[in-house]
Amino acid sequence: MTDEILLKATDVIKTFSTRSKKFGRPHLATAVNGVSLEIRRGETLGIVGESGCGKSTLARCLVQLLPTTSGSVFFEGTEISKLSRRGLRPLRRKMQLVFQDPYASLNPRRTVGDIVAEPLRINKFGTEEIIRERVRELFRTVGLDVNSLTRYPHEFSGGQRQRIGIARALALNPSLVVADEPVSALDVSVQAQVLNLMADLQDKFNLTYLFIAHDLGVVRHVSDRVGVMYLGEIVELGEADELYDRPMHPYTDALLSVVPELNDTDAPRRERIILKGDVPDPSDRPSGCSFHPRCPVATERCAVEKPALVEIRPGRSVACHYPKNAG
Amino acid sequence: MPDSPILSVQDLQVTFATRQGPLRAVDGLSFDVAPKEVVGIVGESGSGKSVSMYSVLGLVRDANVQINGSVKFQGREILGLSDQEMQPIRGGEIGMIFQDPMTALTPVYTVGWQIAEQLRAHSGMTKQQARERAIELLGEVGIPDPRKRVDRYPHEFSGGMRQRVVIAMALSCNPKLLIADEPTTALDVTTQAQILDLMLKLQDSYNSSIVIITHDMGVIAEMAHKVVVMYAGRPAEIGPEIDVVRNPRHPYTWGLLGAVPRVESRNDRLTTIPGNAVSPLDIPEGCAFADRCEYRMDICTKRPQLKGTNSHLDACWLSDEQRLTIRSKAVR
Ligand SMILES: Nc1ncnc2c1ncn2[C@@H]1O[C@H](COP(=O)(O)OP(=O)(O)OP(=O)(O)O)[C@@H](O)[C@H]1O
Ligand SMILES: Nc1ncnc2c1ncn2[C@@H]1O[C@H](COP(=O)(O)OP(=O)(O)OP(=O)(O)O)[C@@H](O)[C@H]1O
Ligand code: SF4
Ligand SMILES: [Mg+2]
Ligand SMILES: [Mg+2]
Repeated sequence: MTDEILLKATDVIKTFSTRSKKFGRPHLATAVNGVSLEIRRGETLGIVGESGCGKSTLARCLVQLLPTTSGSVFFEGTEISKLSRRGLRPLRRKMQLVFQDPYASLNPRRTVGDIVAEPLRINKFGTEEIIRERVRELFRTVGLDVNSLTRYPHEFSGGQRQRIGIARALALNPSLVVADEPVSALDVSVQAQVLNLMADLQDKFNLTYLFIAHDLGVVRHVSDRVGVMYLGEIVELGEADELYDRPMHPYTDALLSVVPELNDTDAPRRERIILKGDVPDPSDRPSGCSFHPRCPVATERCAVEKPALVEIRPGRSVACHYPKNAG
Repeated sequence: MPDSPILSVQDLQVTFATRQGPLRAVDGLSFDVAPKEVVGIVGESGSGKSVSMYSVLGLVRDANVQINGSVKFQGREILGLSDQEMQPIRGGEIGMIFQDPMTALTPVYTVGWQIAEQLRAHSGMTKQQARERAIELLGEVGIPDPRKRVDRYPHEFSGGMRQRVVIAMALSCNPKLLIADEPTTALDVTTQAQILDLMLKLQDSYNSSIVIITHDMGVIAEMAHKVVVMYAGRPAEIGPEIDVVRNPRHPYTWGLLGAVPRVESRNDRLTTIPGNAVSPLDIPEGCAFADRCEYRMDICTKRPQLKGTNSHLDACWLSDEQRLTIRSKAVR
């Protein structure tokens, strides 16, 4: 990891307008509500949070697959949030995505060789012979059998399909790989194979990962730094081991406390903090701190005054009036 | 003399006749569930977890299925009972919770009506009594304002709330046994924690036993007293939770546990199990795990039987000395 900032986002907001089923009037749902973060070259930034908290939307805004409503995103020093589609095109190849569902993201009617070759052909990587050699090289890199190039996605297992998705993402030597729940659909033993592969590839090609998952164990395992999202906001950000061992935000604290643990050592188990209620809807955001209705330590202040994400120590930020472990 | 088991499964075999040949979904599963015991069944996708428990409940509705073995519920053989004979047991003495709450709920009726119907089918309650009990049950499973919510439809509830409704239904007739198939897999961790907590609380107050199916070793470790690890339709290892998690004996269990990324500490590299899951149409005659096992020996072409000391059993040919040597080399 270097100190070079590969991507920098400032106050990114993304609103969707949705129509309520009952009354038919448009609602504004703020899926991403003012996110600022930096991703350094060569690191893995993990994003965790529960379903609907805005992880995928944030990721799509960061690579400008979705236009941001406001805020700015810089990639390798260029403000990509200002560029037109056309202006973005040359940068696209440097930012690649790997998705959760290897089944849905691969065209069932094309051979896996063609699927991996597609970005190379679109970007005129070279002659057909050069492209074919590159595809074989990519297959070897991700641990797939070169003899299976002419087979179709359905002939592969979930883990193998995820390798195909990774091979395609790597085809054009990207600098940033955004992986949105890349292992969530896989059995734990296959998940471990894919995570180990991603770690090897990162070392080999000095890749930068934005790694999104709801599995807190997976995120700790892969990340150098972690951001915790709640209702479209980053509520805590810090170095992975730091954040997991000494969470500051009451939400992070509760989240970590309820992950089922194997309990195979004599280390005491974290005391479980069971939150009440459900995650609120982003079109109906609570006043003050978005987390206050479910927060075990909330006071009246929390219902009226919104806490900003404050850097408490270098590299360690939290958005809470009463952070834990802050001393 | 320990209490006689609530549920006793002996040598359960479930085979589907398919175009590609016989598919052995479950092959020789045996285990007991004691009163108030929580048994966890774990294993990767396709290992036969759901099919085994659906067979116990007589819910495998497939003309091409062949089910053999014995399933005793409170001492009575229930395998092969007709739908009519199973009726008072299913949803009565045995409650069920599925991964997708909508499997158990109908979108067109209010949740209160659905719970009340279940109650009336299994007891002599009047409509009014059933409705009052439904409201009580909704309150017990932590639905706020149950008197108001009882007349709502399932789509007006969040995923976690719907699962609570299903739990209320499963508990409506004070079941002796609760069978839960991946009850929290579709839920977020904070909701999962609420639901698992609720299940344990209710199990305690209703004195019921639970069989919980999951692929999450962490859920097993926190919920179960006894663990059944399945591989390719066969039990690979069975034992008390603490023994299986802290002192696993089967090479598949070693792989399974080593592959889990932990929240409580970071492991540099995850253990992986080489290769892919076996095809259920093509399970080896000998040890089902042999193709992926790094300790495979000549004898592994013969099927290892479940054996062990006390209640900790496993199906593997490795001797105790071999396992000790292997495990002491494995660094954590
Ligand atoms: N195209 C869209 N139109 C309207 N609302 C949307 C759209 N995409 C996302 N949302 C809403 O934005 C919020 C954030 O969604 P997002 O998919 O980013 O969450 P997520 O954290 O990725 O969740 P998950 O873990 O389930 O993938 C949700 O409330 C979602 O319903
Ligand atoms: N009706 C059926 N006909 C043919 N094969 C079936 C049928 N139902 C299940 N199977 C097969 O039986 C095997 C065991 O399936 P089962 O659903 O029990 O797996 P599982 O362990 O519950 O997996 P998961 O974790 O994915 O739920 C699988 O190979 C499955 O494809
Ligand atoms: S019986 Fe043989 S192949 Fe099977 S798990 Fe044991 S050592 Fe491995
Ligand atoms: Mg998402
Ligand atoms: Mg299943």
